[in-house]
Amino acid sequence: MLRITDLFARVEEKEILKGLNLTVKPGEVHAIMGPNGAGKSTLGNVLSGREGYEVTGGKVEFNGKDLFDLEIEERAREGLFLAFQYPVEIPGVSNMEFLKAAVDAKRKHKGDSELSAVEFMKVAREASKRVSLDQAFLKRGVNEGFSGGEKKRNEIMQMMLLEPSLCILDETDSGLDIDALQVVANGVNAMRSPERSFIVVTHYQRLLDYIVPDYVHVLANGKIVKTGDKSLALELEEKGYAWLEDEAV
Amino acid sequence: MSEQVEHLIKKEYAAGFHTNIVSETLPPGLNEDVIRFISAKKSEPEWLLDWRLKAYKAWQEMSEPTWAHVNYDEIDFQAVSYYSAPKSMDEKPKSLDEVDPELLRTYEKLGIPLHEQAALAGVAMDVVFDSVSVVTTFREKLLEAGVIFCSISEAVQKYPELIKKYLGSVVPQKDNFYAALNSAVFSDGSFVYIPKGVRCPMELSTYFRINEQNTGQFERTLIVAEEGSYVSYLEGCTAPMRDENQLHAAVVELVALDNAEIKYSTVQNWYPGNEEGKGGIYNFVTKRGVCHTNAKISWTQVETGSAVTWKYPSCVLRGDNSVGEFYSVALTNNYQQADTGTKMIHIGKNTRSTIISKGISAGKSSNAYRGLVRINPGAEGARNYTQCDSLLIGDKCGAHTFPYIESKNPTAVIEHEATTSKVSEDQMFLCQQRGLDAEKAVSMIVNGFCREVFKELPMEFAVEAGKLLEVSLEGSVG
Amino acid sequence: MTDFQHQAIRLTSMQRPETWLESLRTKAADDWLAQPWPTRKTEHWKYTPLQNLQKTILHAWGREEVPLLDTLLENNLAPLNAYRLIFIDGVFDPFNSSKLPAEVVQFSKANEDQQAVVLKYLGTIIEGERHLFATLSNAWLDDGVLIHVPRNQKLDKPVYIVNVSTAAPVTTNQRVLIVLEENSSAEIVEHYFSADPVQQGFVNSLTEIHIGDNASLQHYRLNLEEEQAQHIGAVHVDLQRNARLRGFAIALGASLMRIDYQLNHRGQGGELDLQGVYVPRNNQLVDYHTNICHWVPHCRSNEAFRGIVGDSAQAIFNGRIYIHQHAQKTLAELSNKNLLTSSKAEVNTKPELEIYADDVRCAHGATVSQLNTNARYYLQSRGLSRSEAEVMLSFGFINELLEQIAQPVVHDYLQPRLAALFGRDNSLNEASSLLGDSNG
Repeated sequence: MLRITDLFARVEEKEILKGLNLTVKPGEVHAIMGPNGAGKSTLGNVLSGREGYEVTGGKVEFNGKDLFDLEIEERAREGLFLAFQYPVEIPGVSNMEFLKAAVDAKRKHKGDSELSAVEFMKVAREASKRVSLDQAFLKRGVNEGFSGGEKKRNEIMQMMLLEPSLCILDETDSGLDIDALQVVANGVNAMRSPERSFIVVTHYQRLLDYIVPDYVHVLANGKIVKTGDKSLALELEEKGYAWLEDEAV
Repeated sequence: MSEQVEHLIKKEYAAGFHTNIVSETLPPGLNEDVIRFISAKKSEPEWLLDWRLKAYKAWQEMSEPTWAHVNYDEIDFQAVSYYSAPKSMDEKPKSLDEVDPELLRTYEKLGIPLHEQAALAGVAMDVVFDSVSVVTTFREKLLEAGVIFCSISEAVQKYPELIKKYLGSVVPQKDNFYAALNSAVFSDGSFVYIPKGVRCPMELSTYFRINEQNTGQFERTLIVAEEGSYVSYLEGCTAPMRDENQLHAAVVELVALDNAEIKYSTVQNWYPGNEEGKGGIYNFVTKRGVCHTNAKISWTQVETGSAVTWKYPSCVLRGDNSVGEFYSVALTNNYQQADTGTKMIHIGKNTRSTIISKGISAGKSSNAYRGLVRINPGAEGARNYTQCDSLLIGDKCGAHTFPYIESKNPTAVIEHEATTSKVSEDQMFLCQQRGLDAEKAVSMIVNGFCREVFKELPMEFAVEAGKLLEVSLEGSVG
Repeated sequence: MTDFQHQAIRLTSMQRPETWLESLRTKAADDWLAQPWPTRKTEHWKYTPLQNLQKTILHAWGREEVPLLDTLLENNLAPLNAYRLIFIDGVFDPFNSSKLPAEVVQFSKANEDQQAVVLKYLGTIIEGERHLFATLSNAWLDDGVLIHVPRNQKLDKPVYIVNVSTAAPVTTNQRVLIVLEENSSAEIVEHYFSADPVQQGFVNSLTEIHIGDNASLQHYRLNLEEEQAQHIGAVHVDLQRNARLRGFAIALGASLMRIDYQLNHRGQGGELDLQGVYVPRNNQLVDYHTNICHWVPHCRSNEAFRGIVGDSAQAIFNGRIYIHQHAQKTLAELSNKNLLTSSKAEVNTKPELEIYADDVRCAHGATVSQLNTNARYYLQSRGLSRSEAEVMLSFGFINELLEQIAQPVVHDYLQPRLAALFGRDNSLNEASSLLGDSNG
């Protein structure tokens, strides 16, 4: 599915990722934890191709293709999905209009026909129900005036509609109360399948109570410094990161 | 973002073809004889000729306005031809069957079938080709409701009292430089009269086409809505692609009597010139409406064409409780320049006005909103709300806002808000991360930006306008 | 060519210019005569007619011994612990002025180094020949105040420049040059007031301010003159990299009160806040024209002006924000709110944006309205009379800006005076400050 080999990346002259290695197989859930500033969000942004993130070394293979050969939207159409930490607002562009365009782009890419408006609305309503978003949100501008929790649920709804093969959740749990967290986690769990993989970037262990990972990685100083199973997350919760950061130097 | 978008394919101006047709065209130049010729050509009464000559005298004393935020070479008004008409139009055709098929084909090519069975259901059309009106559809059906919809030349013959009463009543001959020029040489245009209490049964529409080289188009539109009547009117315009600039100086006058409502929409797509800024139409237009008691005038415009636009559709809110609205999307690309906005003159009590203006600048273009909200001392309880938003696409264009607010009544409430922003990288990234390409992403964001205005357009045209915006933006976004 | 222009030129020959300023003066005199006189069609004078000024007799300069105004000064000055410079009708009053620090000097007493500073900076912010009254200031130049704060220095006390206009028929040309070198800071208050309701003179004033890299300035300009006054003034500011300006302006109305602010962001990271209040009444006029130009990226501007316009008064506000093509990442906001309290009063406001860079966030807003009727209703429902409620709300409207004045003495000086203007009793404020409550 995804193979990251010796990845180096920088933002505005500052080296953030310094030789990161990670392999994700189909159906696996990987949690990435780490202190602030370790490069957690950078990883998601680099993988999805955000401008301003410069790859200075290493390679990433995604479903057999060189990821860095692909444009942002090509990566998305190939099945890479990033759930943003801070989803941007797009005034005036309705959520459903936006989602239909995205779903159609993906379908066209796969050689399928576009959905009719009715077909689309059916699946969209179903998805909004599953993340407990009122249907009214479909008509509102993309994220426009949404609360933090609503934005995050909107991200998960998009994920459901786009059916990606690799989902990167960038601190999707931050700013959520426990109820919203459960909604988000249920949405994610419902999508787990042998073909779909997840990279869950988080600062807090509590998300992993709901989305149980196969692996937990600690990212510090731009690389993975420790890998374990879900018990590692509990250990981190207890001990913090300092003991690991020393190892990374 | 800039690079991705600069690579987008460029599309040609779709309406840029020229129709080969034998025309009778006056040699360039303007003098009293030209005016007499135009007037004679239309068999006008003496008073109208005098009216024209008076305007011409005034025009000679006036000078071109220079306050607008636009730059163009001085216009040689003696190098313009002031009248051009297809030879076949010498005798105005009585029905479509008599119209030169070449002309009909022109409109078909533009997507405007004129045969009533093929025409857009519920829309009556007047089509103006260079200086003359070719045909007006659905006239009989309209007449059944008492609605008069014909060319203004015809109205001068058939309804002289109405013309005499209202022509120049809203935009006087000497109102401004271009209005005076228009008053002197106007050739054709549409006339609409809605009788008392009548709700016009269909949308009315005029389509303006400039075809001949070196000609100016000087149309004049007059709409009179009697007490308690309603009409929705739409105009569209295109011209061939030429390296020379061509002049279009129109005047539109609206009269909404007590309790009447006029909705006037424009989709302006005159040839904007090429990527280097060569050619294109100079669009210098005076549009104004007067609202009597409880009347309402609503201007909606989507301006994507013309090399230079100078246009301020305005409302004189004379009657108590009258309402004026202005909804505008102005898009400029390449070297286009637009200085457009509105004037809301509050005279009556409890008059209300709303201004929503969306300016989008791309390429090396310049886009200015210029507006005046004036509250006269007697306008007790007047209200205005103005919102002007500008969107910049690329760093070589300009977006400007010049709102004038003058209040002389303490009970009036005026609110003005303006913002300028760009299509943000974050917005683009979100769209692209969800699989949209850059072009689709930009057009979606821009359409969202304009939504408040598009929803004011009649349904069929809202879709058109959205598409027009996409075409105009192509190759520009940066 | 108007009579006023001729009279003005005649006055130049009656000045006694410092020879080292002579060339600046001569050129300006030529420019002054070459410039067209503004008419109603001149955009920047559209709402402020100069017909009356044109007919004004320009009297001679104040040359007499300065009159003894000790009591008046005592009653009118802000009790600011400051370096004080008093000018009466444009003439320096050494008795009531304080001993000046090395950083503050009159042009006429400047040493060679200070003269060099003046020559380097004077008249350089805007092209003088395009600003009629700045040109006039140059043409009339014979003296001025230089405040020059060297690198890494902080002026230990505010500089308080007071200009008093008496009933005497005199013309005044007031010139101030402020130069803050890198990392320095200062606080400067310019205060104009009238000693007599009768005013026969004309005041032309120009303050030029250079704020160097990472330097910071608080600047106050108080135009508290009597209503017969005729004053045309300007404040021109250049901000260099990371420079900061906090400006505050206030004007009561006058027969002619026109103040221009020209603010230039010349270095990245500059920040400026400008707030203003105007309260013209009777037949007075106040006209503020502000022009904020962003020439470089990453600067911030925030401007807010509020006015209450009553009786037959007229207020003009023209606020322009210009963003140059290179000024990416600019943040600029402008707000102008007006209360119109009489059916004969008039407000003309024009907030302009002129933008040539795409990655910017700019907004402006303007409102003209009367008092919020809900708020008035609420106060009336608690037992206040309608007029009491209106006064309270009117004062509240401008007090929102007054409350943001950073210099506590200026705040405490202005607040009760404006409150009094609105017929408000200030005893509560006084009581609370007596009880140790801070007002600032």
